[in-house]
Amino acid sequence: MRRRHFVGAIPFLTVSPELLSQFLAGQAIPKLDATATDVVGAPVTRFFAAPQFAALRRLSDLVLPSIGGAPGALEAGVPEFLDFLVGQSLLPTKTLYRNGLQTLNLRATAKFAKTFSVLEDTQADAILSPLHQSWTYKEPADPFAVFLRHAKADILTATSNSREWVTAAQKNRGGGGGNGTYWLPAE
Amino acid sequence: MSAPTYDVLIIGSGASGGMTAYNLTQKGLKCLMLDAGPPTDFDHDRVARHVYDLPYRGFGKPGRFPHVTQADEFNANAWADEKENPYTYDPGDPYYWVRVRRQGGKTLLWGRASWRLSDYEFKAKDHDGFGENWPISYSDLAPYYDQCEPLFHVSGRKEGLPQLPDGVFIEDTSTDSLSLTRFIQAAKKRGIPTTKPRRATGALASSVNLLLPAALATGNLTIVPNAVVRRLTVSKTNLINGADYIDRHSKRELHATARVVVVGASCLESTRILLNSGVANSSGVLGHYLFDQFYVKNTVQAIVPEALDGKGATNLMGGSGYIPRCVNLDTKKKDYIRGFSVDFGSGVTPNAKYFPLYGEALQKAIASHRGTGFDATTMGSVLPRFENFVSIDKTTTDAWGIPVLHIKARYTDNEFNMARDAMNMLDELCHDAGFEVLEKHDQMVPPGESIHELGTCRMGDNPKTSVLNKWNQSHDIKNLFVVDGSSFVVGGSQNPTLTILALAMRASDHMVLEMKAGNL
Repeated sequence: MRRRHFVGAIPFLTVSPELLSQFLAGQAIPKLDATATDVVGAPVTRFFAAPQFAALRRLSDLVLPSIGGAPGALEAGVPEFLDFLVGQSLLPTKTLYRNGLQTLNLRATAKFAKTFSVLEDTQADAILSPLHQSWTYKEPADPFAVFLRHAKADILTATSNSREWVTAAQKNRGGGGGNGTYWLPAE
Repeated sequence: MSAPTYDVLIIGSGASGGMTAYNLTQKGLKCLMLDAGPPTDFDHDRVARHVYDLPYRGFGKPGRFPHVTQADEFNANAWADEKENPYTYDPGDPYYWVRVRRQGGKTLLWGRASWRLSDYEFKAKDHDGFGENWPISYSDLAPYYDQCEPLFHVSGRKEGLPQLPDGVFIEDTSTDSLSLTRFIQAAKKRGIPTTKPRRATGALASSVNLLLPAALATGNLTIVPNAVVRRLTVSKTNLINGADYIDRHSKRELHATARVVVVGASCLESTRILLNSGVANSSGVLGHYLFDQFYVKNTVQAIVPEALDGKGATNLMGGSGYIPRCVNLDTKKKDYIRGFSVDFGSGVTPNAKYFPLYGEALQKAIASHRGTGFDATTMGSVLPRFENFVSIDKTTTDAWGIPVLHIKARYTDNEFNMARDAMNMLDELCHDAGFEVLEKHDQMVPPGESIHELGTCRMGDNPKTSVLNKWNQSHDIKNLFVVDGSSFVVGGSQNPTLTILALAMRASDHMVLEMKAGNL
């Protein structure tokens, strides 16, 4: 009972809604500039083993190199982003990538006695031959071909959705792009 | 404390619930609307963002939506969360149940395609002998289509096709691009009709801007968001007297009372509520005859060779169109009944996957093919079968402790054969039009993915074989109405929303008459 009396004595609880809104209106809180997390910090890679990550870097550069000064997959930080994305993914995707990158190295070593990351372009092209097969709706039977199909799509999307790519495209075209209407999480 | 009693309790705020509220409140009935999701306020719910500022660069959080292929990282929060709202199916027969649980329902995100059904659907059994007819004919629903199309500002072009009745359109007088004209002429030579898309227009075409504001303006509608209905409650006189519902946030249980209850919670949610309530199933068919429309996305992906390298005429590319059902009308196919429709479009850039290249060669190919694409997607009629059904899975509950649905649906040879026929027809039309086909296929998306789930609470004249009568009214309980897609008997290949709107308007007109006559 004593506590209830105490609470009732707090003056602001007895202020009318009109007075309260007037009070708040005079207390405009400025909006503070903020910077996105990935602008100031370098990504830390955790998921892929070093040989796998090296193969992913080489594959990313082959799939979408820098062309005519436009950022390519490496400039867009795609290998580092995919290390994060695949690391967050469900087991089938993790397995697909790990096995696929491992196969790149195994096939490169078997054929050229070098890891995939240091192959010449023509040598790498021999390993990437499934990417020269016509696309069909039905996925290929070969898991390595499935991996390359998914990796190609992911590398392209991760590049074109990157800050670097969008900013460069906006500069070149003088217009927008890469924007959308984002639904905030429901209350 | 005594809670108020309303004339009508409406469960759901999408197309069917919204239309019911729109109609009833303007005729003076006091309505309470319970909706399972949060309120929709675009000023607070949505913001402009760069794709690179999203946490996953537009890929979305991995694994969040295993069944909602429509979800991208921009709109992910608009779809119903699959962990909060689970359902089950047999592992060999996956079902993709795509839901929106917020005020406005799926009208917030629908594709706006607005087609009428015809007597090829309403009287399908008369035509091919399969299944059942609707208890109504096209002429019964036509006056309601006439009212719904202007409300949703539907644009289109009148064609005089019996399988795709014309409506009250904002007339589409746009001219077709040269590539579309070639395709349309190729179709015409084979006796295949085409028309312009028929779509609801405007910045937003949803119950939240076209139906609910008018209902609220009457002063006769009370909307309660975040109210998850557990079950309907039955009086001693075997009438529904209200519903038990749960506050979405606090999980506090409450009860609402009304003279009449209208369930419009979306096709399968409505049936789930009825099954969990143990009502309206003297026929034993509640939950059965689940069907939808199968989709074969990008059945053909072609290019228009003259448009390569930006060399085409300025009016060569662009635009879209529709092939209405063109089979099993006057003649009969050997290996399937019913029919399919096709959406086609010109002027997109084919996806990079279609080019067997990478690196600089791929980028050159994409640049060369920019805007040269022609694609077509097939939407096919699925036969309503007793063995495709939903039931309550008592082993699994949602976040509010309510038992979930187990869904069993499988396509059959009728659908597979139809999809193959559609693919072959489109391939031939593309070649006739001088297009180069990059890829064709007849692989359907899993059942449910079209978001056109229908049936499970079907209408009919016979109480032994149907749940609802021809007024969307329960055969068993006269003050219970179910007004959404669950009431469909046959679906055809047309998108169903316009028909759902018309049915809800018609049912609520009947409700008013019955209430005024003292029958409810």
